[in-house]
Amino acid sequence: MPVGYSIYVETPSPIHNKLDPRTKLAALGTVFVLALEFNHPLVLGILTLGVLAVGLYAQLSFKRFLPFFVGGSWFLLLGVLIWPFYISQGLPLFKVFGAQITLDGLLFGLAMGLRVALMVVAAGVWMMTTSPQKMTMGLLKMGLPYKAGLAMSTSIRFVPLINAERATIMEAQRARGLRLDRGNPLARAAKSVSVIGPMFLRAIDLAQSLAVAMDSRGFGARDNRSSIIQIGLTPVDRVIMIGCAVAIVAGLVMRILGIGILVRGYL
Amino acid sequence: MTLPASDSNSDIVVVDDLHFKYPTGQGETLQGLSFSIKSGEFIGITGPTGAGKTTLALCLRGLIPHAVAGQMTGTVTIGGRNTRETTPAALGEQVSLVFQDPEAQIIGLTVSEDLAFGPENYEWPAERILAQIPIQLKRVRLEGLEERETFSLSGGQKQRVALASALMMSPTIIILDEPTSELDPIGKEEVFDAVRHLRDEYHATIIMIEHAVEQLAEFADRIIMMDQGKIVAQGAPRELFRNVELFHRTGGERLPQVAELLFALEQDGMLPAESFTPYEDEAVQVLTRLLESAHG
Amino acid sequence: MGDKMEPVIAVRDVSYRYEGDAPPALDHVSLTIEPGEFVAFVGQNGAGKTTLAKTFNGILMPTQGDVYVQGKETRAAGLDVLARIVGYVYQNPDHQIFANTVRDEVAFGPRNLGLPPDEISRAVQQALELVGMQTEADTYPFMLGRGQRQKLAVASVIAMGSPVLVVDEPTTGLDLQGAQGIMHLLRQWNADGRTIIIITHDMNIVAEYARRTVVMARGHVLADGPTRGVLTQQAVLAQAFLKAPQITRVAQSLDPRLGFPADVLTVTEFQAALKERLTQRQGG
Repeated sequence: MPVGYSIYVETPSPIHNKLDPRTKLAALGTVFVLALEFNHPLVLGILTLGVLAVGLYAQLSFKRFLPFFVGGSWFLLLGVLIWPFYISQGLPLFKVFGAQITLDGLLFGLAMGLRVALMVVAAGVWMMTTSPQKMTMGLLKMGLPYKAGLAMSTSIRFVPLINAERATIMEAQRARGLRLDRGNPLARAAKSVSVIGPMFLRAIDLAQSLAVAMDSRGFGARDNRSSIIQIGLTPVDRVIMIGCAVAIVAGLVMRILGIGILVRGYL
Repeated sequence: MTLPASDSNSDIVVVDDLHFKYPTGQGETLQGLSFSIKSGEFIGITGPTGAGKTTLALCLRGLIPHAVAGQMTGTVTIGGRNTRETTPAALGEQVSLVFQDPEAQIIGLTVSEDLAFGPENYEWPAERILAQIPIQLKRVRLEGLEERETFSLSGGQKQRVALASALMMSPTIIILDEPTSELDPIGKEEVFDAVRHLRDEYHATIIMIEHAVEQLAEFADRIIMMDQGKIVAQGAPRELFRNVELFHRTGGERLPQVAELLFALEQDGMLPAESFTPYEDEAVQVLTRLLESAHG
Repeated sequence: MGDKMEPVIAVRDVSYRYEGDAPPALDHVSLTIEPGEFVAFVGQNGAGKTTLAKTFNGILMPTQGDVYVQGKETRAAGLDVLARIVGYVYQNPDHQIFANTVRDEVAFGPRNLGLPPDEISRAVQQALELVGMQTEADTYPFMLGRGQRQKLAVASVIAMGSPVLVVDEPTTGLDLQGAQGIMHLLRQWNADGRTIIIITHDMNIVAEYARRTVVMARGHVLADGPTRGVLTQQAVLAQAFLKAPQITRVAQSLDPRLGFPADVLTVTEFQAALKERLTQRQGG
């Protein structure tokens, strides 16, 4: 399905087709805020599972989540390795390099890692359920000037082309003996000029030709442009957005009351 | 197809003493062009590289002088409107231009988005655009490809998308600037097929710049040959391709091989002048008669 | 011929698969090319002609089968060794040109080969003379027209001194004069002993310059032999979606009972054959 250079995956799910991109953006933002409002691994874990559930409801296959899991688990590891050195509350477990490691410390480390993992997976789900065209349309309706919106979608259209040209240029120069895998970093950078140079020139050339082509097709004929990509807020969207606002406020209240917080005094 | 009327009121394109110099150019790219085109004509333009053909196309579309830098003198009148006084956007509802490089004119991520680009600029309502898209895709034999990603199309398909996009505005004048020079034989065939269909089914004035002289012979009512910014010859294919000496002198353009052959035979006294033809099927007949006549 | 006449390129049962499960770009292809040949690989985009040529200089290694260049198996030899034997000129000169002067551009290849400075300047000078661009040595390459840039691209590969030259689409985007200019050079170099392989779909050029033609479609070789014989096989050309030059088509369209040869490649040949037929008839 039409994706250009994005990771959008088309499925017949209602998340893809019934929700306005602005709603999905709001939901993403809400998840981010909630991730920051809590620091208990259990809460964050439930939130992560919730996001996953949304993703599965959107008929995204588990295989697609895998890269995000892998990325997220690095942060989990990092969290558990670093944070316990800073947290001294809770049940002492053992010592490492003279520092006392506590249970709460480990759990907090897990929570910090989970927080990032949650954001990463949520962003992934968002990208996989919103097409670049609709995303751009959403931004346009929120006030982005149409020329900026066009610049965005045109870039997406051209990324695969420039990438293909880069590959060809590399081949052509390799055929002339270019070895980019030899020499110190400075020498390699100097050698890459032979690849980046033609690439840039081609990109500029394309941009100029494109500008003329756009003028030829009436770009700028009117102050505004119409669009075949139609989006609109439905009652479902409004309900979800209200729900997001409520969740954020509730989260804030809970933080103040200390619910879902493992360690006070830390974000 | 609309037959060209015989009075000058049906001149849809009038070029008068057109000169143009690019800012970085050494000398004028166009050195005083004057010609006119009647409504419904199919005009071929040919000539060596550097003759100024693309520059002329840009002038006919009104992109020169508005969107391209340089010094232009003389006038170009399209459908009664002076291109100096009319913006390319205003002319865009009448004239469309298909460029040489398939990549540099496709804007949409998908085929339907690209076709929609032009009408969207003119604030057409979405329903009207969506209704037109399948009609134009059918004209270029790309039915059903609305949701295809433009990046994945072949060269011939890309150029046909460009043509369909050009047709979305229902232009009365279509300019094609070397639409097949970057394509492989299948792509060329596909595009020429689409042009053939256009000539037969769609009532418009078509101006095609091409090196493919055999196709020009087939499609064009009249061919204009340019060299170094000037018109060096123009006429119906039958007349133009007889001017073998001209083609050899300018050197930049091939004649259809049958034209070369029959002219050479005429020079050798083996064929009368009336037998000359630039068309393959006619040439076969002429040669058959020639061989049969010598058959004892 | 002496017993040391081994082919300069030998392709043995080569297949190539790009990533994914697309059909193979090359499907069990075998052929050999002798030193000094002038060969044209013809076919549509995607037929495999470019893929095949790229196995000659090591840009691509076959996924199955072997390619031998001057007796060396390509996987073992590697790109460095092969680039000195097989020069490859890519289709679009703008995919290569990046230097500030013509001279620097041509010097890029020899420099990469690690030649000493005096040899580099000699190679550059020679290459520029071969393409007739000595006077433009200090010109900024992008001030040149497309035809000149194409010559520059060819010169910069020639400067590496390889005995085999592969040129991908030498005439695309050029007018008649430009095309003839490049082809003339290639013919001259071939006469000087270089092996020339052109990849093209311009059948007129093939008819006029290439002594041998290899027709490819869907990863297979459909025909391989002297150009004259190959261009008259209408069915094979049709399978590859190619058409013989107009003059050849005309010769083939004539009634066979008229006894006119069907393997005419150029207008001049047609004229000569016609003269022969007519004087024969009238005399006989």
